[in-house]
Amino acid sequence: MNQNSNIVLGIETSCDETAVGIVRGRTLLANVISSSVEEHARFGGVVPEVASRAHLEAMQSVITQALSDARIALTDVDAFAVTAGPGLIGALLVGVSAASGLSLALDRPLFGVNHLSAHLAVDALGGTGPIRPAIGLLVSGGHSSILQITDIASDVQVLGSTVDDAAGEAFDKIARLLELGFPGGPAIDLAARAGDPAAIAFPRGFTQAPDQAAHRFDFSFSGLKTSVARYLAATPNYLKADVAASFQEAVVDVLLQKAIAACAERGIDSLIIAGGVAANSRLRHEARIRCERAGIELRTPTPDLCTDNGAMVAILGSLALESGAKPSAVGIGADSSPGIARVIW
Amino acid sequence: MTTSLVIDTSTTRTSVAIVSDGITIALLNHDDALGHGEVLPRLVSQALSQLSARNKLDQVIVGMGPGPFTGLRVGIAFAQSFAFAREIPWIGICSLDFIAPPSVPLDYLVATDARRKEVFWVRFQDGVRVSEPQASAPQTLKLLDLPSFGEGASKYGFSSDKTINYPDPLLMAGGFETALNYTAPIYVRRPDAFPAPVNVSFRPMNQLDLVTIFDLEKRSYAYDAWSMVQLKEEFAGKNRWYLVAEKEGKVVGYVGGLLIGNVTDVLTLTVDPSQRRNGIGRELLRRLIDWSRTQKVEALMLEMRVDNVEAQPLYLSFGFVEISRRPDYYGPGITAIVMRKDLT
Ligand SMILES: [Zn+2]
Repeated sequence: MNQNSNIVLGIETSCDETAVGIVRGRTLLANVISSSVEEHARFGGVVPEVASRAHLEAMQSVITQALSDARIALTDVDAFAVTAGPGLIGALLVGVSAASGLSLALDRPLFGVNHLSAHLAVDALGGTGPIRPAIGLLVSGGHSSILQITDIASDVQVLGSTVDDAAGEAFDKIARLLELGFPGGPAIDLAARAGDPAAIAFPRGFTQAPDQAAHRFDFSFSGLKTSVARYLAATPNYLKADVAASFQEAVVDVLLQKAIAACAERGIDSLIIAGGVAANSRLRHEARIRCERAGIELRTPTPDLCTDNGAMVAILGSLALESGAKPSAVGIGADSSPGIARVIW
Repeated sequence: MTTSLVIDTSTTRTSVAIVSDGITIALLNHDDALGHGEVLPRLVSQALSQLSARNKLDQVIVGMGPGPFTGLRVGIAFAQSFAFAREIPWIGICSLDFIAPPSVPLDYLVATDARRKEVFWVRFQDGVRVSEPQASAPQTLKLLDLPSFGEGASKYGFSSDKTINYPDPLLMAGGFETALNYTAPIYVRRPDAFPAPVNVSFRPMNQLDLVTIFDLEKRSYAYDAWSMVQLKEEFAGKNRWYLVAEKEGKVVGYVGGLLIGNVTDVLTLTVDPSQRRNGIGRELLRRLIDWSRTQKVEALMLEMRVDNVEAQPLYLSFGFVEISRRPDYYGPGITAIVMRKDLT
């Protein structure tokens, strides 16, 4: 079926993970991640300066480890791919510069790729044949977007995004309020298991008219955050588990309502959920039920491929190469907030 | 024959050269404070095209700063990866060592732009660098009144030759063997984000602290310690500001400043020997500097024993500069260093 057996090495440094992935065609050969999350935990959030310093420190060893896992030499690599945006500019530039160095030293093509598209491209790992169009729900600490994927290597359109906090950020902030630690996603997921998701009726942002009309596929989590904070202040003996479960339910409900509505409106019967929050067990469970009910095929990467990683960058580079896309020009730089349709630089 | 690829991105200029046994094969400069990420690969690509097929690169020489972080890391990340892919060594050197040509005077300063109204600088005596790179306010350096070179000296009006501004890749290629080598970027300024020490709180000193502080003084300074009488006078004195650090209910450090005219004199900065290297001294000093800003003073000054090597890096990291020495200040044969930090 698919004749693509090129080896692509992908580098990801847009936030706090220094990650390198290697694919042969659409087969995953290596996926190595070095995280500076423990350093950031001391600050209660990602510090750009700390992240970018950590990327430089980890880069060479992460590349070496990935090559070793893939059992290849660097000279076997046919093309390089790197996240060129969106992300923290100082962090992105470490990855882009490292990738440029490799590409120029070996005279191999380099593809600068869009981080958001890459999150959704992991869906193609291990597959063969043409990739079906889909709606993408991308939810993490840095982004909350609904995208329409017509062709993952060339045509991705953003239908809506968060207007304030990203979903993952909301998890972090609520976890801090509940003193559950950082990062908040896994902590709330765990605490919520003992709680009642219907215990407290927290608001669902942008689901009521007239917001719903103006922000059909956009998200807003700041009202939810305020509402939780108010509840905690007004309820001295609150149950952590109930608050966590009810908050999580409000987030999951909004995300899925809008994603499924996007499928219906665009006439697309396939939904990809990716990004760090896609590892949330309640989101995965609810998505399965609601997609089945709506007759939508659900595609969710395994949790380790949901968070930021190098494999997603490598696979998007590989798909670009496969589709005959032109490699990026020398000196792509990095773009902290690239325009909507920029998949490949 | 040794052929080197030379890269420097520590200033607003991006420089790339290929030098083969003293012969310049390519030399490319581009001035753009923010464009290092885009510019560097283009310059390297252009330089590589000047290299004949027979002539192989043997090593990469890269300026490790100090410099603004983002641009600096672009050069280092690129150089490391390039060398890794080619399986050749990379050599990191201090960018400030290669700005002034050999024709300049023997005693001089080199200062580049550190942004935020500061410069990165080093001092040379008899042609040899005698200080580690530091970041300080330009007006403090002007007090030294030495011949000065580099982008920072030009920008702040104390340059002796405005044509000497940037690291010179040809000097780098010629001088890397005798220069100090660096394997990590030269970070001289405390990172913008530095976590506050854990479980330590800070509050103004009160009378009840004097007993603990007296004990801490004795343990820290022995014969140089303040007596109880001196401490009480200090505490009662005017224009002073004392802050203590408290951990688990115990005073573990304190800082004191005295306002004299337009300057805060740093009277003391002491941390319990068992609690050192935990960021407590750093936090105390940071707060004293912040307080000084609110008092609208021009600068902070202090004297310290020349042999107090433990405390010096902390002050240097906050931009204090040694401006003079006072022989016998602490008794016969014990010289005091006078340090100053201008507030910008
Ligand atoms: Zn991401």
